[in-house]
Amino acid sequence: MRRAIFYFLLGCVGAAPAYLPAQDFKVFDRTVQVHGFVSQGIAYSNDNNWLTMQTSVGSYSFTDFGANASMPLTDKFRIGAQIYDRNLGQLGRWHPSLDWAVADYRFNKWFGIRGGKVKTALGLYNDTQDLDFLHTFALLPQSIYAIDLRDSTIAHEGGDVYGSVSLSKKLGTLSYTGYAGQRQDSHYGGYPYLLKGAPALINFSSYGGLQYGGDLRWSTPLKGLLAGISRMDENIDGYGTTTAFGPLTPYHEWSKADWTNQYYGQYAHDKLQIDSEYRRYWRNQEIYSGAFSVQTDVRGWYVAGAYRVAKRLQLGSYYSRYSIDVPAQVGLGVPAESGHIYDKVVTGRVDLNRFMNVKVEGHFMDGYGLPGYYPSGFYTVDNPQELKPDTSALVVKTGFNF
Amino acid sequence: MESHFMKIKTMKNLKSILMAVAILALASSYALAGGVKVIANSSVKADSVSADELKSVFLEETSSLRDGSHVEPVLAKGGAAHEAFVKDYLGKSDAALQTYYRSLVFTGKGSMPKTVGGDAEIAAYVAKTKGAIGYVSAGASAEGTKVLEVK
Repeated sequence: MRRAIFYFLLGCVGAAPAYLPAQDFKVFDRTVQVHGFVSQGIAYSNDNNWLTMQTSVGSYSFTDFGANASMPLTDKFRIGAQIYDRNLGQLGRWHPSLDWAVADYRFNKWFGIRGGKVKTALGLYNDTQDLDFLHTFALLPQSIYAIDLRDSTIAHEGGDVYGSVSLSKKLGTLSYTGYAGQRQDSHYGGYPYLLKGAPALINFSSYGGLQYGGDLRWSTPLKGLLAGISRMDENIDGYGTTTAFGPLTPYHEWSKADWTNQYYGQYAHDKLQIDSEYRRYWRNQEIYSGAFSVQTDVRGWYVAGAYRVAKRLQLGSYYSRYSIDVPAQVGLGVPAESGHIYDKVVTGRVDLNRFMNVKVEGHFMDGYGLPGYYPSGFYTVDNPQELKPDTSALVVKTGFNF
Repeated sequence: MESHFMKIKTMKNLKSILMAVAILALASSYALAGGVKVIANSSVKADSVSADELKSVFLEETSSLRDGSHVEPVLAKGGAAHEAFVKDYLGKSDAALQTYYRSLVFTGKGSMPKTVGGDAEIAAYVAKTKGAIGYVSAGASAEGTKVLEVK
């Protein structure tokens, strides 16, 4: 495995392109911009398999890419679309999806509208969580930006209103986004993967529903300091089939309450950046066509710091804390205690040039959540040997964008 | 008698200092950020912009000035003027600004602004492009463009 990582890094350096191909062209005197990205990772862990990959023996099944085109139709009206595909262990499985496709009209600084399939504003990084090249870390804090639950928050088919208002020099700027639409999950996310296995044995044919909420962020008068709050409400239905009771029967689950609150802050000054976020996700569901109800209370927070020690080298670290509680309920077994994952992370990021980077990251985790109840990166089906309480993982990742 | 001359000399010195301060203050309104002047295409009606307006234009929060002039930002690929402009007017490092633009581009919330070589290329681009707004070093030639006062 060490040799594989060495050759992987060597390949990255050798493959770093020195210049970019042309990416703009004209259509009816309007400039069309084309951009894209790709990332490839290797993950290796000591005992537990993580993120649906066979990380205990080392996994290269850690690829994603996207490409977009956009153009202004008038000075205020812009259209664009992006496709996205990933293969991360059992997630994505090379099934491309329309990541976003928007028509955006900005009347002025304080009011704009966009419609179509729109990336959802939730906390600091929800809408950019796939864009590896924007972040110091190979994996964002999984207590909040769980890579196996990306589908649940990433985008909605609907519309946004947005804008920003300068309060005054003494009070800074407020930016807002309000949105409403439909969320539609892929069949290759962490939640369907979890429920496909025993004991649930559920196969979803569709999973999604209404999603609405807002985000308010305040760029404070102190240069580089940002604070914000996000709220998301959902009304989710899942349809499919199950063999949990023997013969194949239709399956339906729906939410009675489903919301997310997120609070965040960021301070950036010169070469230093510090982020911190807290998220609480609560849902109350009817499952097995109303035979049982289940409540899930997920809380996560992290503190992350990154410092650019040289033009091409950035070092970072974060502490991420995840906990899940499944309160007592009728008809279902209740775990003896809340699950948790406490993750200590150190990262080095090298920018080979403006378009290509390599990251080396160590994760030192205590706990594995509640694998039978809700996705948390660790799955029973991937760990038939039973999960060990601690996991150490090495992630090496490279990305290219233009 | 001597003290009278001393007084006159002191007054003259004070006048000179005040003049210098006034000139510097005036100059700084055109070149606030470490020797940078903001320039625009002659189609832009405004003769001045607020620092807040300028920031909004370059962060793609607006595409017009208060007087209704449509504007499009143009940036340099690097250099001292670029670093100074980005830090002093946009409140970011160059790396943070690139990250910001890329986050807009890849989430469908904006596009990559025009980027050209340095002072001469920016001045040439602004001079020939309707609505273009950019910046050059305070001492650089900006022929064919108008220099905007930043308030």
